[in-house]
Amino acid sequence: MDYWRWTESVWKDPDAPDWRGGTVTAGVDIGSTSTQAVILLDGKLYAYANMRTGSNSPDSALDAMNRAMEGTGLTLEDLRFTVGTGYGRVNVPFADKSVTEITCHARGAHYLYGPTVRTILDMGGQDCKAIGCDAKGAVTSFMMNDKCAAGTGRGMEVIANLLAVPVEDIGPFSLSIEEEPEPVSSICVIFAKTAATNLMRVGWSREKVLAAYCLAMAIRVVRLLERNGVEEDFAITGGIAKNAGVARRIERLLGITALKTDLDTQIAGALGGALIAGDLLKKRQA
Amino acid sequence: MTENGASFETGIFNESIETWKKEGKKTIGTICCHVPEEIIHAAGMLPIRIRATGCTDDSNAEVWMSSFSCSFARSCLQLFLDGTYGFLDGIVGSDGCLMAQRLFDNLNNQFRDLYQRLVVVPRMHTARAIPFYREELEKFRTDMEKISGVAITEEKLLHSIEVYNETRRLIRELYDLRKGAAPLVSGEESLKITLAAMSMPKEQFNKALSGFLREAAKREPPKGGGVRLMLVGSTLDDPEYVRIVEEKGGFIVTDVQCYGSRYLWEPTVLGDGDALDSLARSYLARPVCPRMCNMHSELYDFIMGMAKDFSVDGVLYVKMKNCDLWGGESVHIDDKLKAAKMPLLTVEREEIMTNVGQLAVRAEAFIEMIEGGVS
Repeated sequence: MDYWRWTESVWKDPDAPDWRGGTVTAGVDIGSTSTQAVILLDGKLYAYANMRTGSNSPDSALDAMNRAMEGTGLTLEDLRFTVGTGYGRVNVPFADKSVTEITCHARGAHYLYGPTVRTILDMGGQDCKAIGCDAKGAVTSFMMNDKCAAGTGRGMEVIANLLAVPVEDIGPFSLSIEEEPEPVSSICVIFAKTAATNLMRVGWSREKVLAAYCLAMAIRVVRLLERNGVEEDFAITGGIAKNAGVARRIERLLGITALKTDLDTQIAGALGGALIAGDLLKKRQA
Repeated sequence: MTENGASFETGIFNESIETWKKEGKKTIGTICCHVPEEIIHAAGMLPIRIRATGCTDDSNAEVWMSSFSCSFARSCLQLFLDGTYGFLDGIVGSDGCLMAQRLFDNLNNQFRDLYQRLVVVPRMHTARAIPFYREELEKFRTDMEKISGVAITEEKLLHSIEVYNETRRLIRELYDLRKGAAPLVSGEESLKITLAAMSMPKEQFNKALSGFLREAAKREPPKGGGVRLMLVGSTLDDPEYVRIVEEKGGFIVTDVQCYGSRYLWEPTVLGDGDALDSLARSYLARPVCPRMCNMHSELYDFIMGMAKDFSVDGVLYVKMKNCDLWGGESVHIDDKLKAAKMPLLTVEREEIMTNVGQLAVRAEAFIEMIEGGVS
């Protein structure tokens, strides 16, 4: 069984009016692990799709966009302006412009969590970013982790497979322990695997090992956040935001509760891209 | 080739060095910019600043300098081990930082037949430190006389100071071309030129730069604005690195690093003493890097002065991995720059460039941030 497989999602606004006659803009975020396509109608969220990134970035972008457009009657020609973002941002064949994921995440988080958000932690597939932003969702400071997938979504997928726990259950599993253990000594994906195996061997339960791993990951990203500066309100975006085992521990370490959203936290980058696409379209028309 | 027929030589080993060697003249490698090259020049030898530009593999050097050492120093050692620096007749190092010294120690250990001297440079700029440094320079001069067979007279030294001051003046003129709203010279081009200054005879370089300056002044300014960035930090001898940042829409308009402005900038001022005394005083007074224990505020003032003179929009602070000096200094400078509301991007780098994508995304996001978002 592929324990690492997380659930892809597709969403459409059930109450949205017909897009014909409105202005449709889009954002596509090609990450190392997941790809999102977000469609806005007159600046409001209309549809999105969140898929796993395949081996080919242009195909992944197209797949995600096709899923988001499915059943709406939209075609690529109807997208008035599209922004590509994420590490594959220059590989979105139908994009009008590419913008970095840092700028897009801040803007997307501003939409998802409201204008009070000042600190964003994006925990992606292979990197994490601490971002400071202003009331308009413009970046004021940022910091990224360096050259390593430790403490990111990919690391979590590896641990899921190793311990045979579905990746989406890791959070609840890791929180179901009576007493918080010490964090694993290293969150390097390779060393963490060794550490987890050793802990299992000395009799630790899977829950306890997962707690130790989630805690180590939380400590690592909190350091990154603190280096960049933490100001309330605070929000977490990206796939790991869905992992309560990490998210709750980050909140505990910071002493701050993160803002919540009912929407998929992984769409922040693509959503920001779509919002920026709207601004750029207006600028072009002016 | 510039309009007066002279051209820049940017390679570590290049045509001008080849010609120099063919004439039977000697070349001396220098480590760190606290070695006054004027003394080598006055002896009729060619000073070549050691660097590792373009190094792509440091595996031989890693045997001697672990992966926890400075990758710049390690890459320099690699280029000695693979024979790139085989054209040198001697090496003069300084204890600029621990890693510069470790590089020197390793060279000392492995190239025993090569002439080598370590100039000890005080870490304090005080009245007491100057005579000590002068004494070090005196020993250095004696050695240079011995290996060149040329007496370094006061007259010769004063002439060398004049040549070097001319290089400094020209380099500052080069930087002046980057002061305007549309810089006429890119950061990448400027770095290539200062690297050439370290890799060819100064007279030839001065001629090439004079010609270049005349040509560049007539250039069509680049269209469209760009974010004006200043590069601050550890040694950066790789124009490719600067190019990656500039490709993202920024202009590196100035820098505070020792392969750029910190190489030859402040003129040697002739004082009441002799030429050696003037060299000691002038070299020690420069705010070059955080190695100087009592010059942190001067260094900060220099950085902020540069920011003002070049209308800088943001600072790109580049720390070499495991760099004690600039790594440690960033803790203080970060806060000061933030307090001065100067946008700051701190990145870590290794001499062998492997993280191009990571640098590019950070630089691009930083530029977008300074521009206040894309829209």
